[in-house]
Formats: sequence, structure tokens, C-alpha cells
Amino acid sequence: MAEVTISALVKVFPNGARAADGLDLTIRDGEFFALLGPSGCGKTTLLRMLAGLETPTGGTITLGGQDVTRLPPGKRDLAMVFQDYALYPHMTVTDNIAYPLKVRKVAKDERHAKAREAAGSLQLEELMERRPGQLSGGQQQRVALARALAYPTELFLFDEPLSNLDARLRLEARTFLKRLQTDLGVTTVYVTHDQSEALALADRMAVMDAGRFRQVGAPLEVYQRPSSRFVASFIGSVPMNLLPATVADGGLRVGSNRVPVPAHAREHVAAGDEVVVGARPEYAELLAEPADDALAGTVAVVELLGTEYLVTVEDGDLSVQATAPEDPGIGSRAWVRLGERHTLLYRADDGELVDAPRAASARDQMVAAG
Amino acid sequence: MTATARTGARAATPATAARPPVVGPLLARVGFYVFALVVGAFFALPVLWLLTAPFDADPTLSVAVPSLTLSNFAAMFSNPYVGSSLRNSILLSLGTMLLVVTAAALCAYALSRVRIPGRDLLLYILLLFSSVVSGTAAMVPLFQLINQFGLINTHTGVMLVLAGGLLPAGIFILKDFMDSIPPSYEEFARVAGASPLQTLRDVVVPVARPGLAVVAVWTIVNVWGDFLIPFILLRSPDKAPAAVVMFNFYTEGGQANLRLISAYSFLYSIPVVVMYLFVNRRYGFRFYGGIKR
Ligand SMILES: Nc1ncnc2c1ncn2[C@@H]1O[C@H](COP(=O)(O)OP(=O)(O)OP(=O)(O)O)[C@@H](O)[C@H]1O
Ligand SMILES: [Mg+2]
Repeated sequence: MAEVTISALVKVFPNGARAADGLDLTIRDGEFFALLGPSGCGKTTLLRMLAGLETPTGGTITLGGQDVTRLPPGKRDLAMVFQDYALYPHMTVTDNIAYPLKVRKVAKDERHAKAREAAGSLQLEELMERRPGQLSGGQQQRVALARALAYPTELFLFDEPLSNLDARLRLEARTFLKRLQTDLGVTTVYVTHDQSEALALADRMAVMDAGRFRQVGAPLEVYQRPSSRFVASFIGSVPMNLLPATVADGGLRVGSNRVPVPAHAREHVAAGDEVVVGARPEYAELLAEPADDALAGTVAVVELLGTEYLVTVEDGDLSVQATAPEDPGIGSRAWVRLGERHTLLYRADDGELVDAPRAASARDQMVAAG
Repeated sequence: MTATARTGARAATPATAARPPVVGPLLARVGFYVFALVVGAFFALPVLWLLTAPFDADPTLSVAVPSLTLSNFAAMFSNPYVGSSLRNSILLSLGTMLLVVTAAALCAYALSRVRIPGRDLLLYILLLFSSVVSGTAAMVPLFQLINQFGLINTHTGVMLVLAGGLLPAGIFILKDFMDSIPPSYEEFARVAGASPLQTLRDVVVPVARPGLAVVAVWTIVNVWGDFLIPFILLRSPDKAPAAVVMFNFYTEGGQANLRLISAYSFLYSIPVVVMYLFVNRRYGFRFYGGIKR
């Protein structure tokens, strides 16, 4: 029904800000697609172009095979949750949620029933007669969400719909959203700058930076194989270790240590290459005895994550994190084995993943830029 | 011994040190209150006169304890033009108010949402000219203009001229209001499929209602108190509004008829006071507190 395709989408604001810089993407019908990126990277702008609230400077958008680039928002049959909620201060919660149905000329009783139903699933029953001014930020956000869910559509556009909820409520709402979306099968574009939310919810996701997609793929793929240093540093609830290194005689020199070159990258690097070693603390192993493929250092910080500890090991300028089941004790000597299978190499100059000959990756970049 | 001496010294020091700063502000305070009282009395006198004179059997221009009577009101209502003049005032105010509120709301909305170069300059120029339009300087050309339209001695003519004079300021006030309505309100309505007119009716007007009320009341009060324009543009006395009719209250001897004037002024000021109380109660004159976010 509603496959979303954008091609060569460009948005340049009159002040010169490039919020979209040649975006190509296909979101499959019924897919839950997350847009992730730092503040100001153009997530909201892309969403607004999909909604028809912003006219692209160039490129096309199709919804369900129909070119909608110039179609007004009301004709696109979609529901949107705004980043600032946009609840009407003069209407009660019921009327707010029922407003889209009112526009669709649904009878009063029916639309109020629908509103109560949508509100019920977000624990808003008690608040139906209040006005938005009498609600907390999180309650307002849930009303905004309920308002988008209360009417049938082809496409959901969510702009950080859970950003203001407390941790527990956010987890609940996210599970609820995921289930609802699976049940309804409505194509969903979900903007967030919380990477764990994107990983948890999305069927596929895109990581954006400065108006471009840096990586598009399934969450697991993006998590395990970030295609660039930028993505690597952005994804993961504990930041990935990114250690500058030099390729030398079949291994990597990291500070005063030597670690093996990961098998998948071996044929793409040559001695003398400057690289960055990327390894997730979750995959790294903390050893109490020396090992020749591990980085040696002293335990500087120990943080409890819940079921395990996050241990920071320092050796001079070098600082590596690893998770460990037990507290090794601050000041003790420790060794960190990065876990070769999950270790990635990035080129020091352009930050791209080393997993293909350089020429190819350079050409990819040119295509992306053009 | 040393202890008591020290406390004594401590008690003495603040007393001597504090005297000048206490007396200074006190005098200033008293002076201020006296000044405020004098100014207040000066402005309260006309109001007091308005409250006592209508009920005084023999009103003068001074404020006095009245020998109570309602005969002034009886005399006033027997005057043939009193009823019609109040009706005319109401008609003119409401008519002008409708014109101003409708036109100003549409203009302000458009000006607030559409980006055109020189928009603010346009607004300031309009505002500047508005004082000219209904000002005394433009009376002759205005008279001629209305004459050309054949609208002399019609309420329509008066309403058009008054509305023209009030519109720029009305637009200015309302634009400020519309600017403070987040665009996402309308954007949500658009996404939901509402037409522009629906959006205006369901979202913009209700949200801007305090602003509209302010402009409405402000227009009514302005028209209610306006003398010059209806005086010049209206010929027949049965079309004249209250402000103009009052001007014609003379005794047979050519003296200002204070009995009539005081009673009439009393009646004339009631609607404005009532409106003020209403708006103050409803919106608390927090014009810009309409949208809290
Ligand atoms: N109306 C506008 N006029 C000019 N520049 C704009 C406009 N809207 C957005 N921008 C610019 O475009 C860029 C992308 O903005 P956008 O709102 O899409 O960011 P975002 O990814 O949603 O950020 P956030 O996570 O903070 O919401 C920013 O640099 C912003 O300054
Ligand atoms: Mg945003």
C-alpha cells in the first residue's frame, strides 16, 4: 500500500542551511523505519518533506507508487506526531485526539469513542476532560501520540514521540508502539536521537549526519558493522572503543601494544597505514593475566551497568573500555582483549570502514555526494 | 562587665547609624503618598462629578453632596434624540467592530504567516498613516471622498472612515498575537486534512480569541468615544451618535444644560465601564498570555 521512496532529495533553506543533501531511500510497505542522528542533522526536515509541510528544493518523493512531491499534506493520508506536540490549548484531550476524525466528518459519539480507545492504550483515561495546559510534558506527548493513532492512515511520521517520557514509561510506550505498528502494519518513519530506541524498534534504520545518510541497514547490522567512525561513535549505549593504530608487520600497533589485524580487513591494509581500531566494550574481554594479543594497562574507572561492570583501563594516553562480570579493583593491572571477530578498522583519514579495497569505497562516496 | 559594655556599644551603634537612613525613606514615602493623593484627587474629581451630578436637582460644575433626585433622568429621556442617539452609537460601534475585527484578523494572519520582503516596514508605514486617516488634518479630503461615494449622512460612511483609521493598529496588535501561535498548530490541521478555512475556524480563531476580544473592545471604545468623524459626516440629528448629541444639549438661554449633560454622560459611560469589567474578568488584560507553552 504505502511504500515510501525518496530520490535525490535536496532541501536548502533560504538561509543556506542544507538540511537534506541528496537523499535516496526506499522504505518498504509496513516497515518500521528509524531515522537517527545528532541534533540539527535534518531528521525533522526530512519528515516534514514526507508530510508535505516543506517543499523539497530538488528530488522526488513517492508514496505507494504515486509521486507526491507537490501534493499538499492533507492529500497524502498520513498521521504525524510533531516534535513540539502541537496540541490545541483550547480543546480538551478528547477533542484534541478526535480532531482529525472531526475533519473527516465522523459523528461525534463515534469519534469520542475512538478517542477514548486510543487514549486508553496510552493510560490517558483519567485526563480526557483536561486541557493541554493542565498536563505534564510526558502526558502531552502521549496525547499527541494518541491523536496520531486515532485515525486510520497509510503512513505514520513520528518526530521523537517519546523523548519527554520517563525511562519506565518510555520503555512501556515503545513496546506498545512496536506492537501496535506490527498489528496495524502501517509504514512508520520514526525520528529519534536515542540510538537504543532506534535499535529496539526499527526493522531498518538510517543514521544521518549533516543532511546525508551515513548508513542504512538493519539495526543489528548497523550495531555490529558501523560503516564509518561517525556511525560507530554514535551507536551503542556504551561508546565504542576507537583507538588510533598503525599497521606494522602483520599486526596493529596500538600505543605500546600489538594486536592482530582482524581477518576480514587483512587483505585491505598495508604496512604503514594509519587506522582506527573500533571495538565494542561488550565484545572485549578483561583479563587478569598478560596475553600477547591484549592491551595492557591499569584499571582507572569501574562503573556498574546492572548485570556487569564497565571497566576503563588506561595506559598512558590510551584508554580502553571493556565489560567484566566482576569488579577488578581500581589500580590493579589488567589486560583487554578486543575480540578479533568483532573488531573493525576505520581509515584514519576519511573514517570509512576498511572492508573493501579503497578505490571502491572512494567511488561509493562520490556517488553519494553526487 | 566587658560583655554588657560590648552589647551596649553594639546596641548604640546601629541606632545612631540607622537614624538618617530611616528618616530619609520615610519622608520620601510620605511625600510620595501626598503627591499620589493630589494627583489621584485631581483625576478622581471628574469621576466624582459624574457620579453625583446626575442625581443632583441643581447640578453645577463643582462636586457637591447632591440633593437626591431622578428628575434629571426623566428630563433626559423626554429629549427626542436620546434614544436614537444611543441606538446609533451602538450600531456604529458594533458595525465598525465587525469590520475591524474581520479585516484585521485576516490581514494579521496573512501578514504573520506569509513571508514577503518589507513586511514589517509596510506595517509601520500603515500604522503611521492611520493617525493621519482619522486625524483632523485629513478631514477635508475625507469629507470629499465620502461625498464622492455618496455616503454623506450615512452610517456606512462613518463606519468605513472609522474602520480605516483603526485597522492598522488593530492589524498590528493582532499580528503580534498571530505570531505567537506556533505554526505547528496549523500544520497538524493541514496534515489531518483540514481546509484553510476549517483551520482558521477550528484552530486559529479560537487560539487567537483573546486577541480578537481585545481588538473588538478597543474598537468599540474608540468608536463610542469618537466625536469628530460622525459630527462632520452626519447631517441629520436623528442619525447622530451619543457623543455628537451631547454636544447639542443647551438650555433655552444658550447655556450648557448640565442637568441633561450629567445624566446623559452617566448613561453614556456605563457600557464602556461594563465592557472593561467584562474583559478584565475574562482575560485579565493579560493580552499576551494567551498561549502558554
Ligand atoms: N525553517 C528553517 N529555516 C532555516 N533553516 C532551518 C529551518 N528548519 C531547519 N533548519 C536547519 O536545517 C537543519 C536541520 O534541521 P532539523 O530541524 O531537520 O534538525 P533535526 O535533525 O530534526 O534536529 P533535532 O534533533 O534537534 O530536532 C538545521 O541546521 C537547522 O538549523
Ligand atoms: Mg527535529
